[in-house]
Amino acid sequence: MKVWTGRAALPVLLFIIATALAIYIMARGLGLDSSLDFGAGAYYYADMPGFERWTDRTYYVSQTPRWVLIALFLMWGAFMYRLWLRLDSKGEK
Amino acid sequence: MSDTKRKGIRSLWGSEDALANWIGFLIIAVGAYSVLSGAFDFKAANFSTWGNGTSLLTQLNADLWTKLVRTYAVLGVLFTVGAALKGENPFKFLAGFTGLFVLSVLVRAVSAEYTFNRYLEWAFFALLLGLLIANTIGVPAWLKPAVQTEYYIKAGLVVMGFSVLFSNIVNFGLYGLGIAWIVTPIVILFMWWFGVHVLKIDNKPFIITIATATSVCGTSAAIASAAASKAKKEDLSLAVSISIIFTVIMMVFEPVIIRAVGLGELMGGALIGGTVDSTGAVTVAGTALGKLAQTSAVLVKSIQNMLIGFIAFAVAVFFATRVERDANSSREVTAADIWYRLPKFILGFFAASIVASFVFLPAVGKGNVSAINGVLDQYKNWAFVLAFTSIGLNTNFRELKGTLASGKALTLYIIGQLFNIILTFAAVYLLLSGKYFPLPDIAL
Repeated sequence: MKVWTGRAALPVLLFIIATALAIYIMARGLGLDSSLDFGAGAYYYADMPGFERWTDRTYYVSQTPRWVLIALFLMWGAFMYRLWLRLDSKGEK
Repeated sequence: MSDTKRKGIRSLWGSEDALANWIGFLIIAVGAYSVLSGAFDFKAANFSTWGNGTSLLTQLNADLWTKLVRTYAVLGVLFTVGAALKGENPFKFLAGFTGLFVLSVLVRAVSAEYTFNRYLEWAFFALLLGLLIANTIGVPAWLKPAVQTEYYIKAGLVVMGFSVLFSNIVNFGLYGLGIAWIVTPIVILFMWWFGVHVLKIDNKPFIITIATATSVCGTSAAIASAAASKAKKEDLSLAVSISIIFTVIMMVFEPVIIRAVGLGELMGGALIGGTVDSTGAVTVAGTALGKLAQTSAVLVKSIQNMLIGFIAFAVAVFFATRVERDANSSREVTAADIWYRLPKFILGFFAASIVASFVFLPAVGKGNVSAINGVLDQYKNWAFVLAFTSIGLNTNFRELKGTLASGKALTLYIIGQLFNIILTFAAVYLLLSGKYFPLPDIAL
C-alpha cells in the first residue's frame, strides 16, 4: 500500500482520537452494565457467560411461514452474490 | 498408484485444511459426547473475571489447573499429530507449541482482568504480546515450528461452525431479515466497491476482511473471512484492531445518541444490533436503553451471527473463482477448478454448522446444543488465541504501521461504518417505526 500523505492525515488523526477516546472510556469504566459480566470483549454470542439466557428463549413468533423466510433468505443471498460478480466484472473492464 | 492419485488421497489427511477439519470435528464429537452422556468433563480452561476487588490468585485452584492441563493435552496432542501428518518434526512442534501455549495462558489470564475483559479481551493482548516479543527480543528458534496462524485459525473455525445455527434466520421473522440480511450484503458490496474503485486498494482480501468485520460481527467475521479469502496476517490484525477500538466507542455512545434523538427502544435496539460489531457490546448497549432494546438488539445480532457461515462460504467461492484465477486466462472456471482452489476447511466449517442446525438441534434440543457450545466455545477461543499470538510473533511492527499510515484502511472502515449506520437506520425506520408495517409482538 502506498503512503497517502495528504489525505491520510484525517483518518490517522481520527484513529488517534478514537484510540484516546477508547482508553478514556476504559479508564472510566463507561458504558458497562453491572448485571452483565461482559462487554465489547465478548466478540461472539457464545463468548458471553450464560449466553443461553438469550439464545434458548423464543422472543418472537413470526406469522410468515418458515419456508418463505428461508426462500427469501436464499434468494436475496443469491441476488447479492450475482451483484458482487457483476461489480467485479465491471471493474475488470 | 500414480503420483496424482497418491497426492489426492494424502490431501484427505495430510493437508492443513483436512487436518483442521479432523481436529475440529474430533473436538466437536468429544465435546458433544461429554455433554450428552455426562460421562466426563471436557471443559477447557477459562479464567473468570478478576480485579475490581477479586485477586487472580484465588482462581489458581485444582479445578483451573486440571482444566489447563486438559486444554494443553487435547490441543497439544491434536495439533502435534496433525503437524506430524503434515510432514513436520513432531518433537520440535510440541516444544514450540508448549511455549506458545504458555504465552496463550498469559494472554488469557491478563485479558480476564475486569476492565480488559469488558472492553478488549484476548485478540488485542495476543497480538500485543506477540508483537512485543517479535519486535524486541525476537522469536526464539525453538518456538518457530509452532507459530502457524492458519493452522489454528482453521481448526478454531471448524469448531466455531457448530455454534452457527441456521434456525436463527427465523428468529425475528421478516423484520430480522429486512434489518440484518438485506442490509449486511449491501454494506459489504458498498465497501468492496469503495475499497477497489475509490480507494484503489489492490489487496482484495483485506477489503473483504474489513468489510465483513464492519457489517457482520467484528472479530469473529473478520477471522472467518480472512481465512476464506487467504488474507495476510497483518490484514487480519489491522481489521480486528480497528474493529475493537471503534466497538468500544460505539457501545458507549450509540445508546446515548439514540436516547437523545428519541428513537425509542425497539428501533434503537435494532439499530444497535445491526451496527455495533461485537455481540457482547450489542447486548450491553441494548441493555443501556432498556429491556425491549436489549431484546431487539440481540434478535438482530443473532441473525448476523448466523450469517458468518454463509458469508465466509460465499467469500471462499468468490476468491476461488474470481480473485485467484489467472488474470490472463480466458478459460471458464470449471467445477474442478473451484474444488481445487476452495479452502477445504470452509467446507468443514459449513458442515459443522449444518450438523448442529439440522441434526443436533432437532434431535437433542436447544438446551443441549447450547451446553455443547458452552464447552466448544472455549476450545475455539484457545485456538484463536494461539493464532493471534502467532500473528503477533510473525508481524513486523513497521509493516503494520505502514499499512495504518496509508490511511486507506481507516477510511474504508469509517466510510463503511457510516454507510452501515445510515442504511440500517433506514431499514429499522421502515420496518419498526410502525408507520409502514405493524409493530412486532415481542415477548420480554
